[in-house]
Amino acid sequence: MSSTATGYYRAGASWLHRRNPTTKLLALFWIILATFLLPPASLVVIAAAIGAAAATASLLRPLLRSLRIPLVLLASIVVVNALFFPEGRDVLFAFGPVAVTREGLTFGLVSAGRIGIIFLASLLFLFTTLADDLLEALVARGVSSRLAFVVLSAVQMVPRLQARAYAILDAQQARGLPIAGSLRTRVRALVPLIGPILLGSLIDVRERTLALEARSFGARPRRTAYRIVADPPVDRWLRVGVIVGLVAVVAVAVGGVGR
Amino acid sequence: MTADRATLAVDDLRVRYVGRAEQALDGVSLVVGPGEMVGVAGRTRAGKSTLALVAAGFIPRVIRARLEGRVTLDGLSVPTATAAQLGGRVGIVFSTPANQLSTSKLTVRDELAFGLENLAIPRSDMDRRIDDVLDRLGIAHLADREPLALSGGEQQRVAIASILAMGTGLLVLDEPAAELDPVGATAVADILADLSAAGTATLVAEHLVGILGRATRVAVLDRGHVAVEGPPGQALGSAAIGPIGLHPPTLVALAEAAGLPATAAFDETRIADALSSSTNAPPTTPAAGRRQMPLAWEAVRDEPPTTIEVRALVHRYPTGIDAVRGVTLSIAAGESIAIVGQNGSGKTTLVKHLNGLLRPSSGDVRLGGRTIAGRPVHEIARTVGLVFQHPDDQIFNRTVEREVAFGPRQLGVGQPSLDLLVERAIAAVGLDGERITNPYDLGSSERKLVTLASVLATEPAIMILDEPTNGQDGPGLDRVGAIVDGWTAAGRTVVAITHDMEFAAAHFGRIVVMRGGEIVADGPPDRILGPDLRDVLTSTGLIAPPAARIAARLGLPGVPRDADELLARLRRHRGTRDGAVRT
Repeated sequence: MSSTATGYYRAGASWLHRRNPTTKLLALFWIILATFLLPPASLVVIAAAIGAAAATASLLRPLLRSLRIPLVLLASIVVVNALFFPEGRDVLFAFGPVAVTREGLTFGLVSAGRIGIIFLASLLFLFTTLADDLLEALVARGVSSRLAFVVLSAVQMVPRLQARAYAILDAQQARGLPIAGSLRTRVRALVPLIGPILLGSLIDVRERTLALEARSFGARPRRTAYRIVADPPVDRWLRVGVIVGLVAVVAVAVGGVGR
Repeated sequence: MTADRATLAVDDLRVRYVGRAEQALDGVSLVVGPGEMVGVAGRTRAGKSTLALVAAGFIPRVIRARLEGRVTLDGLSVPTATAAQLGGRVGIVFSTPANQLSTSKLTVRDELAFGLENLAIPRSDMDRRIDDVLDRLGIAHLADREPLALSGGEQQRVAIASILAMGTGLLVLDEPAAELDPVGATAVADILADLSAAGTATLVAEHLVGILGRATRVAVLDRGHVAVEGPPGQALGSAAIGPIGLHPPTLVALAEAAGLPATAAFDETRIADALSSSTNAPPTTPAAGRRQMPLAWEAVRDEPPTTIEVRALVHRYPTGIDAVRGVTLSIAAGESIAIVGQNGSGKTTLVKHLNGLLRPSSGDVRLGGRTIAGRPVHEIARTVGLVFQHPDDQIFNRTVEREVAFGPRQLGVGQPSLDLLVERAIAAVGLDGERITNPYDLGSSERKLVTLASVLATEPAIMILDEPTNGQDGPGLDRVGAIVDGWTAAGRTVVAITHDMEFAAAHFGRIVVMRGGEIVADGPPDRILGPDLRDVLTSTGLIAPPAARIAARLGLPGVPRDADELLARLRRHRGTRDGAVRT
C-alpha cells in the first residue's frame, strides 16, 4: 500500500519534478483543452509530447503500464462507436447484421484518444508533483486554503479508497461472501463493498475534519507557509508560454467554428 | 520550561444532541487548571466524548446540539467562541492515530508546522517552536520521519505535539490510547503526566487504567452526570464505581483489600508490602464474584470442532519485507490462544493466513489435517470466522439484525436456524435492545460488538478475534470474555490478538508471544507471564498484568488471573507455610 502522503508521487529530481506545481497544473489544463479543441490529428502530437516528457523524467514505463487501468473503458468506447455510431454510413466490413463504419471507428478512436491522453497527462502530473507542494503552491497563489485542501483530498482519495476497499473485501469474505467468479457473484459483492466504503469514509471524514479544526485549519483568512515551494524564473516564463498557448488554442477553436 | 497556562471551568453543563430524547450530559460541573490532568471515566454512552467535544469547542460550533450551562476557558465562553479565538488555546486528539494528522506532510517537522501556518505564525518563529515542543515531548528523533510511516503510539505523540506547538494551554484527549499497543499507551501516558506536571491543563477521556491511574483527579461519569470525582485511587474504587456497574482496576481492588488509603492505590510496592505483612490475608476483594458466567451456546449448524496447523509459514510482502518468518503453530480443537506482541510483530498477518485471506510465501496451513491452499476464503469461512479490528470496514446493513444475519445467510443457513443464530449472537454481545437500531447510530465500541455478533452467528469452529477488547468498558470486556470462555467450553477454538494482558491471562489457556514475525514464547499463562520469562516479555514491550506482578513480588507460585485469585493463592500459600511451621 502506498502511503497517502505521497499518493502516486514518484520521488525524483528530473526537470519535470522541479517545475512549480502551478506551472504543471496550468500545462495539464492546456492539454485537456487542446485535446478537445484542436483538430483530432493533433492528438498524435500531444500524445508523443507526453511520452517524450515522461521518458526524459524516466517515467515512461510506469506511465504506459498504468494504461491498463482505463484499457477496458477505452477499448469499449472504440468498439461500441465502430459498430453503433448513429451517423455511420461508410461500411468498412460487416458481420451479419452489425457493421463497422468508418465514421464510427474514427469517432471511437478520437474519443478514446482524448480520454487516454487526459488520463496519461493527469497521471504524469501526479507522478511528479507532491500533494503538499500543490497545496502550498495554490495557497501561495491566493487560492483559499479550504479550496486547496479539497483539491488535495481529491488527489489523495483514490489510494485511500483503494486501501479501504481491500480491507472491506477481506472482512466480507471472512463472513462467507464470495467475491470472485461469475458476473452475478461480482455484482452481488458490490453492496457489501460500497456500503462500508461510503459510511466508513463519512465517519473518517468527520474525525479528520475535527482533527483539522483542532489545528485551526481555515480559522484565519491568511496563513503563513513553513516550506517554500521552489518557483524558479524559468517557471514564470513557462507559465507565460502556456497562457499564450491557451489563448492560441481557444483562438484556433473559435476561428475553426467561424470558418 | 514553562507551558502556556489555561483553566477550563465547566458549570452545570447540559447537552442534548439534535434528534435525541435523552440528555448526553445532564448537569456536569468540573474544573481543570494548570498542572492538572483530569481523567474522565465511565461506561460506554456515559457522556465522556461529549464532554471532551464541548471542552474543545466543537459542540455546538461543529457538531450540532442543544447546550445549556457555562463552559469557559480563562473567562472566554467556549461554546460561543469562534475557531479563530479557540485556535492555539485548546486542542483535541482522538483515538485513531492516522486520522489525527494532516495526511499530506512528508516529515514530522512539516506536520508540526501545519498548525502554526494556520495560526499565521511568522515563518521565522516556526523552527524554534517546533524544536521546543519536540524537546518537551522527547520525540526529537522523529523530526524527519514521515508521519504516516510511524507507529500508532508515535503518531499519537506527534498529534499531541502538533497541538502543543500551537501554544495550547488546554489539551483535550478522547480515548487517545484505545488503539495503541502497551508500549504506545505507556509512552502517551508518560507524556500526558509530564505535560500536566509542567503546567498544561489536560482533560482525558479514557477506559485504560494505565492512563487514568496517572491523572491528578478522575471524574467518573454516569448517564450524563459526574457520579464521583477524586484522586484515581478513590474515584476508581469499588465504593465509587461499583454502584454504576464498573469494576475497580485490579491494583485498586488489591489496595482496598489490603486496607491501604486511596493515595496508594497504584503503588505496587506498597500494595505488595501491605499484603505480605498483614497477618490475615483478606478473604476477598470488595468486588469479588464479578466474573461473568461463560456464554452457553448450543450448536445450531453442523460444524464439528477441528484442528488448525501452521507449518513453517513465511509471508513476504511485495515490498520485500518478511512480516512472518517461519512460524509453526499447532492448535487443537477447544484451545483458546491469545497472540500478543507489539504492533508490527506480524500478528495480524499471521491470523489472516488462518482463513486464507493471505497465502503463504512458503509453508502451509492445514485445517483438520487438510491444506487450505486453493480453497477460496468464503468457503473456509464455514469453519473459520475472523472478526476484524475496525468495525467500519464491514458494517453496511440498516439494522443490527440484518447485519448479524449477513454471515449465516452467505453460508446458506435457512430458517428457522437463521433466526435462532441471529437472536443468540445479538444476545451474547448484550445488544438485545438494539436489534432494529441502525448500527451507525451506535457508538464505535458497540459497533465492534455488532461485528463480533455477525461472526458469532456463523458459528465457526474456529473463531479469530483481532483486538476484541479495544474501546470496551468493563461490562463490554466481561461479555467478550464470556464469549471466549463459552466457545472453548463447547470444544470450539478461539484465537485472539490482544494488547490487554489482563484479558489474555483471564480467558486464554495459551499465550503466544510474537516479535519481529517470529514466535518467541508459547505456553500457558502461568509460564509466559511468570518470573522465568519476564525478560522475553519485556523484550517485546509487554509486561505481565497487575495481579501477576504483585504475585511475583510476593513470591507466590503461578500467575493469578485477577485480584481475587491472587488473594486466594496468598491464603493457600500462608496455610501451607503456617502448617509447615506447626508440625
